[in-house]
Amino acid sequence: MSLEARVALRKGTLDLDVGLTVEASGVVVLLGPNAAGKTTLLRALAGLVPLERGRVVLDGEVLEDTAAGVRVPTERRPIGVVFQDYLLFPHMTSLENVAFGLRARGTPRATARARAHEMLDRVGLAEAAGARPRALSGGQAQRVALARALATDPRLLLLDEPLAAMDAGARAELRRGLTRHLAAFPGTCLVITHDPIEAMTLGDKLVVLEAGRVVQAGTPEELSSHPRSRYVADLLGLNLYRGRVDQGAVRLTGGQRLIAADPLPQGEVFAVVPPRAVALHRTLPDGSPRNVWRGEVQDLDVVGNHVRAHVAGELPVIAEVTPGAVASLRLDDGGPVYVAVKAMEIEVYEA
Amino acid sequence: MRKDGDSGARADAGKHLPTGGLAVTAGDAIAPPPRPRPAPWWAPASDTERRVRGRGERAPLGFVPLAAVAVVFLILPLVALLVRAPWGSLPGDLTAPGVLTALRLSLVCSLGALCLSLVFGVPLAWLLARVPFPGRNVVRALVLLPMVLPPVVGGVALLLAFGRNGIAGQWLDSLFGVTLPFSTLGAMLAETFVAMPFLVITVEAGIRAMDRRYEDAAATLGAGRWLIFRRVTLPLIAPALAAGSALSWARALGEFGATITFAGNMPGRTQTMPLAVYLALQNNAGAAITLSLVMLAISLAVLVGLRGQWFPRR
Repeated sequence: MSLEARVALRKGTLDLDVGLTVEASGVVVLLGPNAAGKTTLLRALAGLVPLERGRVVLDGEVLEDTAAGVRVPTERRPIGVVFQDYLLFPHMTSLENVAFGLRARGTPRATARARAHEMLDRVGLAEAAGARPRALSGGQAQRVALARALATDPRLLLLDEPLAAMDAGARAELRRGLTRHLAAFPGTCLVITHDPIEAMTLGDKLVVLEAGRVVQAGTPEELSSHPRSRYVADLLGLNLYRGRVDQGAVRLTGGQRLIAADPLPQGEVFAVVPPRAVALHRTLPDGSPRNVWRGEVQDLDVVGNHVRAHVAGELPVIAEVTPGAVASLRLDDGGPVYVAVKAMEIEVYEA
Repeated sequence: MRKDGDSGARADAGKHLPTGGLAVTAGDAIAPPPRPRPAPWWAPASDTERRVRGRGERAPLGFVPLAAVAVVFLILPLVALLVRAPWGSLPGDLTAPGVLTALRLSLVCSLGALCLSLVFGVPLAWLLARVPFPGRNVVRALVLLPMVLPPVVGGVALLLAFGRNGIAGQWLDSLFGVTLPFSTLGAMLAETFVAMPFLVITVEAGIRAMDRRYEDAAATLGAGRWLIFRRVTLPLIAPALAAGSALSWARALGEFGATITFAGNMPGRTQTMPLAVYLALQNNAGAAITLSLVMLAISLAVLVGLRGQWFPRR
């Protein structure tokens, strides 16, 4: 499974020029601010917007190549799309929506319906087969859209802000469900989002798009430790760690232990440490902080009326401190510091 | 492509929100707040009411009586029709042979005109809405011209085009032996001429207003153009299609001027209901009223059938 794409086109004020290579199957998250060209890139891959220059090659099959004059129309690309507001056909039932792609590709009605039933069952919506999209909740509509896109066995799956329409309360739950479904998908999967948490949790690889250009690509860890642009730094400014709950603490993938307040969930987790909860000291702090480790201030960043200190060491972390603290601790001189984070300040949730 | 409305607050919903309220985005399933029930026109507006209802909702002086005159003027003739109807002789009038013939001919011609309008008008509407060809606005204006053209002029024009010596008619006559004037087909064409623009303009508006991304979604699922049109576009513009069909059918049913000019007034062949009504009025007013009642009933049925389309429920 591989996707190799170079997409160059202009649309309005957007000047999109993006190279994208995905070697293995897995989830690639396309992250970027509004109007960065994420949706346009997705539409270009799906063939809904013609390229001005570039080529799209999926598993060795050339879908589009402006130099060679090749352009496979959308309906003949092995690509499934989950659109931003799902775009379920309002005049069809869930089942008909899911069966539509199969019918369009010539599958006999009975087979298509049986397969659609199976797909709905897989996303846990067998009972909603006869419901019109209007009667579905946002989460249900999202799952029907996913089932519809997957029903035709695409080799590339594109999802445009799959969780944007959800309210905050339902998001975490739906995100976990989505992660599970995407993990079961054998092909390549490209997810668009502007939400950093979503990007970190859904993706094996992040591609950050800004003003029509890729500004950074890499694993979530790579991105959060070394942001290479203001946008990425701001966006991933929080410290997010992945690990496993072990003996009342979070054992991180790097081996360190973070102690967080009870109750802790089970198994694989994410731990978020907000930069403003990270305290820096020149001497070993006494008192209550449960997590103390040694580090070295590498960089200071002024953001608004406070300073972000990038601290390297056992556990790299970004701390947000006041300019006063920078002065009194002489942080701009670098040197060793003690990093302290209260257990209360660490948010741990299921991966 | 994102919908542009996503980020903007919905105008109508925003109006009722206090300043500083949350912006309601199109994605949220929030029902617009209920409209305050309007007070009777004679009630003085309180301060709160003025604030809630805002500017422009209190009628300028004199509008209410003027509007009342308009309503009475529009309704009174219909009332007169009902009051003066010869209810006693109605069953006999209705089943008179001439009446039934005219009614049947009217239905055949108007439904035929509707079919022709659909077959040729929907593709035209689609092209006008979607394909930016040069001269599109000119084509649209010309196509819609019959809507504002006096029907008699249309009849004369049809005669010059498709008449026995018309610029197209002489070829039809000599090549295929088809003579349109004074035939049922001619009456049907005359009705199509005046009715089709209503269908085209309504369906074009419907196609323009629909969310094209549904078609994109269908394409990503493997549907070709024709399948997309049949299974996605048509169902999505069904309300506009229904409204356009009803409008153009009603127009065809009531067509008088172009029909009598182009197709004449021959009972059983080109004498449709409106022509029969006009003729009956000369010698048998009762029959004319009866026929008028039938057409009024048909019009009412269309109106009731489309009330959801024309009177959006609040």
